[in-house]
Amino acid sequence: MKYYLDWPEPDAGDLPPPDQNIEPWGETDVVGKPLPRIDAYERVSGSAVYTLDMALPDMLHTAIVRCPHAHARVVRVDASRAEAMPGVRAVMTTASPEAAIPWYFGRGGATSSLFDEHCRYAGEEVAAVAAETWHQAIEAARAIDVEYEVLPFVQDDAAALDEDAPRVHDSGNILGQQTGGRGDVEAGFAEADVVLEETYHTPCELHAPMEAFVSIARWDGNRVTVWDSTQGVFGIQAGLARYLQLPLSSVRVICHYMGGGFGSKLGLSKHTVIAALLARMTARPVKAVLTREESFLCVGNRPATTIRIKAGVKRDGTITAFDASFLGSGGAYPAGANSTFLVQALYECPNVRVEDNEVFTNAGQARAFRAPGDPNCAWALEQMIDDLAERIDMDPVEFRLKNYATVLQTNNTPYTSIGLGDCLRQGAEAFGWAEARARTPEEGHLRRGVGMAAGMWRYPGDPRATVFVKVFSDGSVNLTMGAADIGTGTKTTMAMVVAEELGVALESIQIVHSDTGTTQPAPSSGGSQTLLVMSPAVRAAAIEVKNQLLEIAAAEMELPVEQLVVQDGKVMPAGEPEAGVEFASLTGLRRRQVVVGVGRRHPHPEGKIALPFAAQFAEVEVNTLTGEVQVLRLVAAHDSGRMLNRLTYENQVFGGMTMGLGLGLTEERILDSNQTGKMVNANWHDYKIPTAKDVPADNTCIPIDPQDTEANTVGAKGLGEPAHIPTAAAIANAVYHATGARVYDAPITRSRMLEALAAAEGE
Amino acid sequence: MLPNFSYERPGSVDEALEQSSSEGAVLHAGGTDLLGCLRDGVFSAEKVVSLSGLDDLRGIRSSGGGLRIGALTTLTEIATHDAIAERYGALSQAAASAASPQLRNQGTVGGNICQRPRCWYFRGDFDCLRKGGDRCYAIAGENQFHCIFGGSGCYIVHPSDTAPALQALGASVRIASRSRSRTVPMEEFFILPSDDISRENVLEPGELVTEIELPRVASGTRSVYRKVRDRGAWDFALAGLAAVVRMSGDRVDEASLVLSGVAPKPWRAAEAEAALTGNRLDAATIEQVANASVAGAQPMPHNGYKVDLVRGLVMETLQSLA
Repeated sequence: MKYYLDWPEPDAGDLPPPDQNIEPWGETDVVGKPLPRIDAYERVSGSAVYTLDMALPDMLHTAIVRCPHAHARVVRVDASRAEAMPGVRAVMTTASPEAAIPWYFGRGGATSSLFDEHCRYAGEEVAAVAAETWHQAIEAARAIDVEYEVLPFVQDDAAALDEDAPRVHDSGNILGQQTGGRGDVEAGFAEADVVLEETYHTPCELHAPMEAFVSIARWDGNRVTVWDSTQGVFGIQAGLARYLQLPLSSVRVICHYMGGGFGSKLGLSKHTVIAALLARMTARPVKAVLTREESFLCVGNRPATTIRIKAGVKRDGTITAFDASFLGSGGAYPAGANSTFLVQALYECPNVRVEDNEVFTNAGQARAFRAPGDPNCAWALEQMIDDLAERIDMDPVEFRLKNYATVLQTNNTPYTSIGLGDCLRQGAEAFGWAEARARTPEEGHLRRGVGMAAGMWRYPGDPRATVFVKVFSDGSVNLTMGAADIGTGTKTTMAMVVAEELGVALESIQIVHSDTGTTQPAPSSGGSQTLLVMSPAVRAAAIEVKNQLLEIAAAEMELPVEQLVVQDGKVMPAGEPEAGVEFASLTGLRRRQVVVGVGRRHPHPEGKIALPFAAQFAEVEVNTLTGEVQVLRLVAAHDSGRMLNRLTYENQVFGGMTMGLGLGLTEERILDSNQTGKMVNANWHDYKIPTAKDVPADNTCIPIDPQDTEANTVGAKGLGEPAHIPTAAAIANAVYHATGARVYDAPITRSRMLEALAAAEGE
Repeated sequence: MLPNFSYERPGSVDEALEQSSSEGAVLHAGGTDLLGCLRDGVFSAEKVVSLSGLDDLRGIRSSGGGLRIGALTTLTEIATHDAIAERYGALSQAAASAASPQLRNQGTVGGNICQRPRCWYFRGDFDCLRKGGDRCYAIAGENQFHCIFGGSGCYIVHPSDTAPALQALGASVRIASRSRSRTVPMEEFFILPSDDISRENVLEPGELVTEIELPRVASGTRSVYRKVRDRGAWDFALAGLAAVVRMSGDRVDEASLVLSGVAPKPWRAAEAEAALTGNRLDAATIEQVANASVAGAQPMPHNGYKVDLVRGLVMETLQSLA
């Protein structure tokens, strides 16, 4: 699966060669410390200005008219009433020239347009208004009369495959059918002592980031500046340049403080283009904010997945075959729905067959959502693994230790490092796995159980990044990088890398970031790549600056450069701190005013791949009378390479597990599929994100650092996504251990738990 | 977006009754439900009458061995009140289990018992029967959170946690209007869709809940409220049970069992009460009472689990009292 890219993949020759002079860090002074975020005060005090907070002089506001039907054709639009209303400055509808801007590129080319008369889901854009105030815009949007021809719709993934199903696209409902694998699964099953087959289902989940979706566009002549709540300004810039037919140098996209996206803010959204178009039409800045309700409909989701897995195992614990089929829908437009990766890669198995079916349905389009497809796949695979282990009387941890793969089996690539064994062992030890597992079950209706699951993340990152580090004449420092800080602490960890190399205080480092006008292209902050792509480039830039300062100092101190080191913001002969000279005291620096270092990310190692691994453990209590499931504690052991900052590392892990708890227990988009096809729980009350009462107070994070010197010059691997992959499955396994009832459909609501308990009792 | 309305903030109950008697007037107590309904277009308002100036309607007072709770008393005040916790445990627990801390700080008990249903068809962009439309979408739709008792035409559940506790504790509602004031037992305050599909209680236009009266508690009485929801906070009951029992030894002299989350009004489990009263609170009785508590349940296609859930709730709660 590819992330949102408008650029071809780089060849190794496009990137600078690995810098042989950059040695792995030994003992570090700053990196690895539990340091608070450098912008923590601004964020918690409310002084940080997010895109949503911004207001420009003379700014107009938008409202978007959305199709209320799951499937319909616009017969007629009449905006005359709206255009005459007070404060209204511009209106665009399906009848406007801009409506034809092609949209939803994907397999099969453009399948729709900015305002498409053929509306394929409830929430699709039909018209937009710019007005002096937000209230005027909303009133005007309501006054646009749209006549629809309501069409039959299909929302069930399996039903969409029927010949007679309503067609989402004229070409039909089948988006993709792929098979893959290796070996001979039938031979594998013939060898097995135990063969199991089950079908699992995961729900459609919404990203629900805290900061709303918002874009503000302002034109200056033929150039446009867009402030956007986005995970990657360069992707938005490229998209806008394409839709507006402008050179990249005429589109500037900026996002400083950012309030969460989880994948939904990787790609360009229609409201952003609408803001830019309305701003051009009115020659005024335009702000487009999506309401919470809108954000549940039209800016992405994690699609529901149905996964059937058949697996064979020998009595000695050897897995002989996996045969898995996936069915999912990214909604009405092309979007990746499933990931078969874990079945193919996590455990050693010579015979694997996977079949992946994606269909179109009349529902909002999916977007990348924290490890797209993988928590779903783990939900199925990791419950199956536990069942296999039980059938051959093997402990789940032991079974995984025996079977985890040590090369990437999809193409037999070795890993630069693999800490999964340590994750399993150290996680189990910290959790007290053996004792908890051996505990005598309770007699009453409150049953405790423990479970675990493993996981890995498949994306090694886009290695392209260019970073500037500058030292000003007074010795203070500027870090200029394209990457966003989407709430993960990127600014803090990158400043720590600079501080490690230059010995300057974090407070003295100014950060300019996530601005296509002033920074260099960087990968979008998705795919767990920001840290491992950016930190080597930051380190390289800091080292280049350091080398220049050393040259300047060597000349002024009349010492050979090899004898000098940088420490505590000073240049000094090695081991003689008392002879140190502050950067600001270097005449050469003051004469030049600034020293600039350019750092570029080196390519990924040849013939190897650097991927992160995880094992998570859960203890739950199930009330067998009421179906209530309470997660009592979670332990997460992660091999994400070097830990740069204990605090932000824990934030990622605990946040990922909380989101995983939502998948396991509470979160689920519900469509009124039998009647109207509308989403019935498009709000933060009915769509149930876990609260503080649902998340255990007892969370433990165990960083496993395999000292990876091949992955990159920092030794870091990704963390955001692996933290989310195994959690729901670990909870499901713990529920089974507690009750003997398997819940195959996520989330484990009270309803599903009671039904599973009743089914287990009937057996 | 909120519709346009005029806003009044009267300083006395009489003035409030005067203001609220006009067509299209709605009352604003805590506003936690009202503003959401207005914003989402569930219903509209010509005039919003704020009750925030009516200090007479705040506070908890002793009265003839019982308590009188002003309608504007917040859920937090009820949940943290010592005498309520001591004598009316079910009410204290019910108030504490509602919504979230922020909403409990703002929401009032009067508003809590008068809040509108949470049915997502009623709240959403659906022209449903209760809003004057032509059908109940829950019948053929997503009815996992709908009622298993008392539905007809409309299948909402009453969302209040405090109301079943108040009803089980024998509370009454004081209601004022320009022409009269009256006291209605909690049990008679709520109505079913078959009585009137457009409202959930007996309040007439121009009437205002001013106070809730809790009677004296007989000695030997214990009460609990137990609520099951899909997440730990800010969630309404899938099912809940307010249980008030008076025992001598292990024998139940008097019992009141009122369910939440399963019917369009707080639902008295009369057969279960009968099966409990006069009997020893042992395993056999508990089993009988649990079965009796779901007698007559009519689950919909997606809410059959509520039958098991109610049975389980009753068993667990009675076991805890035994």
